[in-house]
Amino acid sequence: MSTPRAMRQPLALRLTSAGFLAFWCLIAAFPIVWIAVMSFKSPVDAFASNPFDVLFGPATRAAGNGLSLLDIVAGLVVLFYTVRLALNWLPRMVSRFAPGGQMLFGWIIAATGYAVAFVIAFFVILPAVLGVLNPILGPLGQPIVGLTTQHYQAVWVDNAFYRNFINSMVVTGGVVTISLTVGTLAGFALARSGSTIAFWLLIIALVFRALPHSVLVAGYLPFFVNSAEILRPWLGEAAPTLYGQPLAVIAVLVSINQPFTIWMLRSFFQNIPNELDEAARVDGCTHFQAFRLVIMPVMWPGVITTGLFSFLLAYNDFLVTSLLLDQSNQTMVPAIAGYFNRETTTTDQVEAVAAAVSITAPLFLLVMIFQRQIVSGLTAGAVKG
Amino acid sequence: MNLRPILMAGAISAVALPAAADCAYENDVSLRSLSAAFEAWTAVTDAMAECGNFEAELSQEFRTLQPEAMAANPALYQLGGVSNGTVTPLLNAETIRPLDDLVEQYGQQLRPNQLIRINGQTMAIAMMVNTQHLMYRADILEELDLDVPETWDEVLEVAAAIDEADMVDYPLGATMATGWNLAQDFNNMFLGYGGQFWNADGTPSVNSEAGVSALETMMEMTEYMDPEYLVSDSTYVQQQLQQGRIAMANLWASRGAAMDDEDESQVVGLVDAAAAPRAMEGGPPATTLWWDGIVIAANIPDEEAAAAFQVAMEGIDREMVEANNDAAIWLIEGYEPGRLAEGAIATASASPAPAAYPSTSQMGLMHSALGNELPAFFTGDVSAEEALAAVEAAYITSAQEAGVLE
Amino acid sequence: MKFKTFAAFVAPSLVMMLLFIAAPLVSVFIGSFQLHQPVLQEVEEESCTPGFTGQTCTTTIVTRPVIAESGEMLTTTEWVGWTNYTRVLNPEAAWDAVTSFDWNALMQVDFWAALRFTLMFTLVTLPLVIGVGLAIALAVNNAAKHVRGPVIFVSLLPFIITPVIGALSIRWLFIGDGILTAGLEAWLDRDLALFAQAWTIELMMLFYRVWHVAPFAFVIFYAGLQTVNQDTLESAIIDGANRFERLRYVIVPHLAPLIVFIALIHLMDAYRVFEEIVGFTSQAHVISLQWLTYDFLQPDDSGNRAFGRASASAMLTMVGIVVLLIPLLRRTWRDHKGGSH
Repeated sequence: MSTPRAMRQPLALRLTSAGFLAFWCLIAAFPIVWIAVMSFKSPVDAFASNPFDVLFGPATRAAGNGLSLLDIVAGLVVLFYTVRLALNWLPRMVSRFAPGGQMLFGWIIAATGYAVAFVIAFFVILPAVLGVLNPILGPLGQPIVGLTTQHYQAVWVDNAFYRNFINSMVVTGGVVTISLTVGTLAGFALARSGSTIAFWLLIIALVFRALPHSVLVAGYLPFFVNSAEILRPWLGEAAPTLYGQPLAVIAVLVSINQPFTIWMLRSFFQNIPNELDEAARVDGCTHFQAFRLVIMPVMWPGVITTGLFSFLLAYNDFLVTSLLLDQSNQTMVPAIAGYFNRETTTTDQVEAVAAAVSITAPLFLLVMIFQRQIVSGLTAGAVKG
Repeated sequence: MNLRPILMAGAISAVALPAAADCAYENDVSLRSLSAAFEAWTAVTDAMAECGNFEAELSQEFRTLQPEAMAANPALYQLGGVSNGTVTPLLNAETIRPLDDLVEQYGQQLRPNQLIRINGQTMAIAMMVNTQHLMYRADILEELDLDVPETWDEVLEVAAAIDEADMVDYPLGATMATGWNLAQDFNNMFLGYGGQFWNADGTPSVNSEAGVSALETMMEMTEYMDPEYLVSDSTYVQQQLQQGRIAMANLWASRGAAMDDEDESQVVGLVDAAAAPRAMEGGPPATTLWWDGIVIAANIPDEEAAAAFQVAMEGIDREMVEANNDAAIWLIEGYEPGRLAEGAIATASASPAPAAYPSTSQMGLMHSALGNELPAFFTGDVSAEEALAAVEAAYITSAQEAGVLE
Repeated sequence: MKFKTFAAFVAPSLVMMLLFIAAPLVSVFIGSFQLHQPVLQEVEEESCTPGFTGQTCTTTIVTRPVIAESGEMLTTTEWVGWTNYTRVLNPEAAWDAVTSFDWNALMQVDFWAALRFTLMFTLVTLPLVIGVGLAIALAVNNAAKHVRGPVIFVSLLPFIITPVIGALSIRWLFIGDGILTAGLEAWLDRDLALFAQAWTIELMMLFYRVWHVAPFAFVIFYAGLQTVNQDTLESAIIDGANRFERLRYVIVPHLAPLIVFIALIHLMDAYRVFEEIVGFTSQAHVISLQWLTYDFLQPDDSGNRAFGRASASAMLTMVGIVVLLIPLLRRTWRDHKGGSH
């Protein structure tokens, strides 16, 4: 479809628009790219006030950790193809192999597998190949940029950050699943009911969303710690101590997130024509059957979008998880705060930066994969107000 | 981008895990501990973990969590790590047990000054002390032919001389971050000027001559400091000293060893430590003494308590200290003070000696009130007297609320 | 839909909200009118603390709570009416300051200083977030098809990044001689300390919030732009409307419900501003209402917390949000009455 002439834009406008966009992208990406750069340098370089010291890392290079021109080129090529594959090949594979209803699980498996494959290719195979090539190539093989992975090693291996990663996955997975299950039911009912009760429920949910979290969390703590004692009259010896239990934290996060979830899903369901489920009801289905047979197959774009927001909330939460989970169940975000303790050193800080970058990486992958779904899900009506 | 060390480290740690090394006591009771998260606690809990069946929780939120967790029945943690500040709520609620019989049975190697006694009963076992010491760039002082300052007036003179010579960005650094840090710096100075926090009837008396002198001295210090001092916590000041941006700072003793850490510091070997300066001639060093130590929960069976105590003794034994000598000013047998620990020891053994931080409910309230109200003085919004009056008002409100003041 | 079916569908969600939000809320509401105090006694106590070599023992009178037979602390609970609210609001000092037109004195009362910043923060970021979000959406919509994917990806980064980490990364760029401060110093040729005075810190906090939330507004507006009716646009062109008029009379009205939605979400989130205060350690200069509540709840070393005042301050925060939301809620009510199925 060619643009009608009147819609074409003068050059000045297009340049302004493109310039603004470029400027925004710079602002959006810069802090994140910068902490990624810092995480690969020795503490002296990472907190140097001269930006070129941070970029090229003289102290890091002096310590014998560096990248040659060849390393950089090879690394960039691998990265480029990783992104290409993630955007083109991966979605096709998933849609081919995952059955209709299980798209979400298909994606989870595919993304995990892809991430593992990338780590092996980038951190095992590539260094091995380059380790052989670099000495042969002379000047091309000389290190020019200081770079060290020692902080990542300290974070993931010495401090066993993978455990926090697994805990984060458990909590996040739980929150997304339960939140969506509970939320779609409520959102559907709210969309189909024009009653005043439905309206007031939505308003109350909104007020709930407005509550300062620090108040809620302070209310939970005494109850969670003493729950075994409090619940004993009813549950006997089986009464659990809720403090430190991922399930309890999942329940809290789901509840905190419910208002937003049901609002999003309600608007989304409002845009699925009423006639669809009414026709099913005429055919003799109950409300629940109509929901399961008619609505479920068409609700996925909205559910995926809402699910992403739930994911972000659970994955990024600090206040609830830091106070209600114990060490063995600690998720990644509060684990980072552990680096900023009373005796924090500069090395700790750079390790915290490396951990922060590690936390951000899965979010990158997620957005890369789901980007189209977010926009199409929102377009399909999850935000009609 | 070399992966070999990562793989090697992974392999080594995988091999090292199951071997419950050097622990004389084999623990078969499931134990958990809750403490603050800093290097000394990491060292101690790692040593405890060697005894098996032990899980350590090093949490930033321990201050919020510990009173609740110890009060639960059974207590969620058998062992707790406390300081002289944070032991107060546990003493108040009587959720920690007297340790005298356990000390007699299993604690022969403890020194007498490690036993924290309240009314003759041993309630906690101290493992380290912490206080402040003056860290200074020996090379700069030598080049300008200056003596190591012993009082804050001398510190200000030396700072002026360094400023004159323009050898560093800022002559002075201080941990004046808003909140707990700033209040602690005020406490140090206030006690250094011989101040008393309370009148005999329990009403606050910080709005006094000592209070005003303390604030004025601190204000004079800020002239030689980074203007961002209200966000400077100890990590930030330590970093400034390491990077050669400041020449002197009155810092926590536990921060000393980092100056000679070659990975971080650009001034290795150039920094020396002396006793914390005095606020007035003949007074004590303007600082307070702190200790960190171990307590055992009251709401647990006696067998668990015995096991917990024995594991704790393995955690604070000679081997641990020898392996982590510079992590703290240890009170434990086998500790050899390093070059940078000398200042702290000089502070602690000065005469007259600095006071121990008073661990009472009232002090907790006072500390919060100071942390909240003093920044207005440093931002220039109010005068010293007004700020101190605001502190007293805030203290009276919260003390009445807590029931410690009529 | 019958009420019974409706209830069955809504029940799981409602139960969770009641249990984990409403119940704490009720307890906070009740708590804001109460004062819990331990029963205290004064005892003489000898305590020994270690020096490096010896030990110093002192005998002092200390206050300890009375412990009951059961091992619990004895406490009393008292209904105190509006006392907690009075202590938070400090109406006397505030009124004195107002009548003598002394702004500085008013700002010495924590609550009013927090309210001032929170309102300013909310009302300044709101138009910025909507404006910047809309501008990015229009610019992306205007860009060539093949660059849209990567640009949307980069634009979403500030939104998805963990807030604590986002705030820290911006802080590291500016604190001390952070590279951006160093850059600004070189450019302006003067010494800068961005964390030394209130207005620069406030600017950084505003910048951070807009940076963090604008992508959310952007992606929603961008989705909305995909459904703009092309026929209406074309007829507007035939009617001779210029570019700005088309934006003003066709696109913005089409996006109006989305603007309301974003405003609603943003008002709630911005009024609860908290991470910025912690991330930028701005307590010396500016505080927010949620930070005030949080600070009342943080126990000091001796375990004291001001539960009553925290509850009162939390209730006041809630009232503030509800007041801000009323205009938007009335609109929702009209939509609900008009557009119900």
